[in-house]
Amino acid sequence: MGAVELPDQIKPVMQNGIPAIVVTCSADGIPNTTIISQVYYVDKTHIALSFQFFNKTIRNVRENPQACVALNDLEGNAKWILDVQYDHSETEGPIFDEMDMQIEAIASATGMSGIFRLRAADIYRVRSFKKVSFSPASLQGVTHGDTGYTKQRASG
Amino acid sequence: MIPGKILAFLEHEGTVAVSGTRDANLIPAIHYVSGWDVEPDKRTIRCSIPQAFTDLIASLEDNGQFSLTIEQIGSHETYQFKGDYVGSARPNEADMAAHEQVKARFAKVVNQVFGLPQEMCRAYISRPSLVIRFTVREIFLQTPGPGAGHRLVPPEEE
Repeated sequence: MGAVELPDQIKPVMQNGIPAIVVTCSADGIPNTTIISQVYYVDKTHIALSFQFFNKTIRNVRENPQACVALNDLEGNAKWILDVQYDHSETEGPIFDEMDMQIEAIASATGMSGIFRLRAADIYRVRSFKKVSFSPASLQGVTHGDTGYTKQRASG
Repeated sequence: MIPGKILAFLEHEGTVAVSGTRDANLIPAIHYVSGWDVEPDKRTIRCSIPQAFTDLIASLEDNGQFSLTIEQIGSHETYQFKGDYVGSARPNEADMAAHEQVKARFAKVVNQVFGLPQEMCRAYISRPSLVIRFTVREIFLQTPGPGAGHRLVPPEEE
């Protein structure tokens, strides 16, 4: 089974400054929905999420590594939905440093300077993605980047 | 019961909402929300879901777990509601009116904060095709800052 690869067109969506969403689930089955300031493109098969405040998200992915991330592309008329799996956390190094710098820039631009603080860069492997397009007429289309995810999920 | 301050936030101040479910294998999923309204019992919330994100009924019928997060863009005031699925319906007139109000608030504030055209922003809040009703069990503060994650309802013991 090949790895799912993110298309290059998703990179600017991760850099548009519009908050993203992450849903996780605890081991006892309670979903948790949070809004986060940044999703960081690591490489074609990995993203990083900023670990700042949302300790429930952090606790959940340590119990159950599955997560769902949504990116908002208002100018491109689309929402990107990524199914990801937590891999590891980094508290230093180039990914952490770049995320820290970007978060400070976002905080400064949104009046939250001094409140946002990066504790770790959490690295996730992308298991599948889909792009949900929309139009003013609410006609919607869905394109998938899904390499056997359903089968992989069913087999654990 | 949802406190009065949060009821006012839901009615007048929230500008964007997203919801979460999970399936039988504990795989979480995101569902965008196009509007919301609180029923007269002040504990049941109706969430309007656009067509592209209506694949949630199987999960809700499997386990009933639903989470809803609503933010006021700009102030970052945010609450998360966790609760139990009680049913679904087609959007009624009140749901569509709530959807239109949310769409207008979203377009106005995103235009102010991000400089994007209001018409583009209005289009981003898709017309709902399904309403999910759930009873609120817990409410958490999620406004960024030291109190993020604090449970408001029922109150946490000090």
